[in-house]
Amino acid sequence: MEQQFTLEETLATDLSQVMPLVERIAQKVLALTASAEETFQVKLALEEALTNAMRHGNLLIAKQVVTVKVKASRERIILDIHDQGKGFDFSNLRDPTQGENTERISGRGVFLMRKLMDDIEFYDAGSGVKMVKTFRLKPGA
Amino acid sequence: MGLLIECKEKGPGVYIVIPKGEINTQTYQILESALRDNAASAKALVFEMGQVSYVSSLGLSAIFRIKLALEERKATLVLVNMQPPVALVFETMKILSAQVFASLQEADEYLDRFLDGVQKGTIKPRTPLT
Ligand SMILES: Nc1ncnc2c1ncn2[C@@H]1O[C@H](COP(=O)(O)OP(=O)(O)OP(=O)(O)O)[C@@H](O)[C@H]1O
Ligand SMILES: [Mg+2]
Repeated sequence: MEQQFTLEETLATDLSQVMPLVERIAQKVLALTASAEETFQVKLALEEALTNAMRHGNLLIAKQVVTVKVKASRERIILDIHDQGKGFDFSNLRDPTQGENTERISGRGVFLMRKLMDDIEFYDAGSGVKMVKTFRLKPGA
Repeated sequence: MGLLIECKEKGPGVYIVIPKGEINTQTYQILESALRDNAASAKALVFEMGQVSYVSSLGLSAIFRIKLALEERKATLVLVNMQPPVALVFETMKILSAQVFASLQEADEYLDRFLDGVQKGTIKPRTPLT
């Protein structure tokens, strides 16, 4: 069984590149954790971070890049996603689960990332995000 | 993983939509365009979600755009039979809780009440959100 993996990728800003990379990383996480649930959570947080980096960070400008660094063991995964945008006021987002926000069309990605990962830290004014998730240890693993 | 959409009329103006796959960044437009083509005049859409294994925020946005377009012309949607991880995303985001049902049977009562309300004029079209 896999014990760990690391990965570093630089993606051009192109939304069609998001899911192939997300899927590739998800397969590795599944091999590591044997947990469909934790794989689902990592996959979703990663898709949200990558689409935000391309749409809001790089403003869909193709020549701007997104760098992705992943370091995973059977204990935890660290995901680092960085875009070439200006960042944003990440401490001042409206809560999508409150009141009429629940009826809005968008504004759920960062909230999901925070819910799904154990620790998330924006850096470089928000143009970078580092997310950590600790995997539950499986009995006998 | 991609997305396939099957859409069939269950009763007058009531369509069953059966997506198979993932509703994500890459596929959400497939869902929206399938419904534009097949259910433009629907009174109600029933999303049979049993074969949807994953949904992300772009998928949720697509479902909301479909919902708003329906409500602006006094139509509605329900979602039935979601897989647990997908249901958890909806629960976490506290969305559409009144329109998510375990089965089509359970959704029927809501749909009957809704279609009855449209007939009696008690359901008003939604004004677009600003
Ligand atoms: N990498 C980023 N660079 C710049 N702005 C960002 C970045 N990530 C998020 N944002 C800002 O934060 C807001 C909230 O992001 P979030 O992902 O929660 O919602 P959204 O992307 O607008 O909609 P959804 O994720 O539901 O499709 C965005 O609208 C954007 O203004
Ligand atoms: Mg987003």
